[in-house]
Amino acid sequence: MDPSEVEFLAEKEMVTIVPNFSLDKIYLIGGDLGPFNPGLPVAVPVWLAINLKQRQKCRIIPPEWMDVEKLEEIREQERKEETFTPIPNPYYMELTKLLLNHASDNIPKADEIRTLVKDTWDTRIAKLRLSADSFVSQQEAHARLDNLTLMEINTIGTFLTDSLNHMYKLRTNLQPGKEAGKSQDF
Amino acid sequence: MFVSDIRKEFYDVIVNQRVALLVSADVDALCACKILQALFHCDHVQYTLVPVTGWQVLETAFLEHKEQFRYFVLINCGANIDLLETLQPDEDSVFFICDTHRPIDVVNVYNDTQIKLLIKQDDDLGIPSYDDIFRDDEEEGEDGDDSGNESEGGSEPSGKRRRFDEGAVERRIERRREKRDWEARRREILFDYEQYEYHGTSSALVMFELAWVMSKDSKDMLWWSIVGLTDQWVQDKITHMKYVTDVGTLQRHVSRHNHRNEDEENSLSIDCMRISFEYDLHLALYQHWSLYESICNSCYTSSHFKLWSIHGQKKLQEFLADMGLPLKQVRQKFNSMDLSIKDNLREVIEESSNKYGMKDIRIQTFSVHFGFKNKFLASDVVHAAAALLENIEKDESGTDNFIKALDSLSRSNLEKLHHGIKLAKKKLISVQQTIASCICTNQILSQGPFLYCYLMEGTPDVKLFSKPMSLSILSKYLLKAFVRSTKNKRCRLLPLIMAAPMDVEKGTVIVLGIPPEAESSDKKNFFGRAFEKAAESTSSRTLHDHFDTSIIELKTEDRSKFLDALITLLS
Repeated sequence: MDPSEVEFLAEKEMVTIVPNFSLDKIYLIGGDLGPFNPGLPVAVPVWLAINLKQRQKCRIIPPEWMDVEKLEEIREQERKEETFTPIPNPYYMELTKLLLNHASDNIPKADEIRTLVKDTWDTRIAKLRLSADSFVSQQEAHARLDNLTLMEINTIGTFLTDSLNHMYKLRTNLQPGKEAGKSQDF
Repeated sequence: MFVSDIRKEFYDVIVNQRVALLVSADVDALCACKILQALFHCDHVQYTLVPVTGWQVLETAFLEHKEQFRYFVLINCGANIDLLETLQPDEDSVFFICDTHRPIDVVNVYNDTQIKLLIKQDDDLGIPSYDDIFRDDEEEGEDGDDSGNESEGGSEPSGKRRRFDEGAVERRIERRREKRDWEARRREILFDYEQYEYHGTSSALVMFELAWVMSKDSKDMLWWSIVGLTDQWVQDKITHMKYVTDVGTLQRHVSRHNHRNEDEENSLSIDCMRISFEYDLHLALYQHWSLYESICNSCYTSSHFKLWSIHGQKKLQEFLADMGLPLKQVRQKFNSMDLSIKDNLREVIEESSNKYGMKDIRIQTFSVHFGFKNKFLASDVVHAAAALLENIEKDESGTDNFIKALDSLSRSNLEKLHHGIKLAKKKLISVQQTIASCICTNQILSQGPFLYCYLMEGTPDVKLFSKPMSLSILSKYLLKAFVRSTKNKRCRLLPLIMAAPMDVEKGTVIVLGIPPEAESSDKKNFFGRAFEKAAESTSSRTLHDHFDTSIIELKTEDRSKFLDALITLLS
């Protein structure tokens, strides 16, 4: 899966906006949205929020978890634990990127939030690498990881499966005896 | 017709239509175009952008698009010529003109249906009143009455008819005399009105006010309107008073935006755009260059120090020593200068320049700041965009340069802006070198009523000066330098005509005229009409294609007779 596809899926999450126009309820295939009244907050999917923000038709309210103290707590917890801690939103990385790129003027202390989320991400990816490394070196048959997000899985997924494939082929090639003399095609 | 409520009569009309945007090739028009494009994106208005460089391109563009579009928006073109006669549009085409060229053609002012002028009427326009110029209805009515009287008189008995006839003849003679007087007055009024060409409020400022009225103004749009206004000032198109007034208006907007965002305790992300009002140095591109290079290549300082002479160079060294700036520091890139020197650089320079007679070394301007590395003054962006617009490097078509220059104004295209700054540096250096050579070899000759200078074909960088904006910057700087270098008091008050080879294959030169250099100049240029008359009287082969009527293209062979005609005309 492409990271942009993961971002596309992340855009379905709901976020609160304050529009400056009025519109009746709209009926879309994915669900109903609205009605929109100027000055009254309404929950919309992120793709619509970003589009309206770019057209200067709304103000985006940051989600609850996008707050400096909460993110600091999460980061500290992540650093203490050896396994993955549960995080507030399964698409935290994509939402941070989207909201901070398009609506950083509506989010207080945007730079610190960006740093904190990046720190959390780095810690989790480091744990993933360690666990993949131990998986391979101890030649385990299966592993279980809780609380991973789709983006993290996607980052390491292709690489892990491809490299395990190669290692399997290399291992089967090392078998002496009946395979000797024949060449193998990869 | 002037548009009184720009939102209702312009924007609400085109918001649901497809629009053709015809934009002239100067930085102010680019900025106005950017603001309008941003508004169109917000409201999903379909538009077609056509860059136009002259009247011929405008006409071809109009012919291509007239079937598909009803609404045309012209930016910085079209106000100073009778548009309906030139383009011959259909009855239902409507033109919205946002132009800084003055005087506005009277037909454009008084046409109620097809031409809408997006121009503020409180500019000192001096438009003659309707009755002074148009009188067609009354004429026909009177003739009709007259013949009516005669026919009525005819049905009467013969005695009365003779008396009516005499009265009618007298009245007709009287009316013809009145008509002749009225026509003479009309010609005089129109001549006075159209004699001088000048520029009005920046189009980018008009577009920004439209956005503000609709509450859709953003910091990007504010920055573009600042760049548009600064372009008018850099190109010397508006008076100092007008510039200061408009800067005041923009400063109010800037403080409104800053106040809105810094309100909360939490400060804004570093990536957000911050615009601030600065009382900064009048040195071109000094923050992207070394201080020494910038002083050598800015018009203000180089003409005051007379840097084309050895005496001037010595004076510059004295000036730097007076400020206590070591040469090594001053010659390296500005960003790498010692922090202690950079801190109160402006005050130190101001103090020293007062001693050397440069009272206006500091000017009111704005700067923008986003990200950790990017700080630009408005004049930096103007120089970069102008250099990109007239880039001769790759021989690309005019539209490619236009699009590149347009892109460089967006925040996300910083490499283009930096490329533009590099080109602008080259341009400024070649301008200074050309000025130095012209003054040292006395190429500026006084022809009586004006000064004249011709750039020979072998001059280095002469290709750069075949473009109107670069040539006009060269001529303005040259005139300033000449005024300070000449001992002849009379020559200081003369206007300048500059000629440079434009197209070697076709054998044409580009000729432009600029008004005389004065402290309180009102920047009014009479060369447009003078060129037209001179061309007519000598039947020289000229092309008055540029939107500024003071810039024309002329066949090289006709140059001497054209000049002679001008001399006779203006003396």
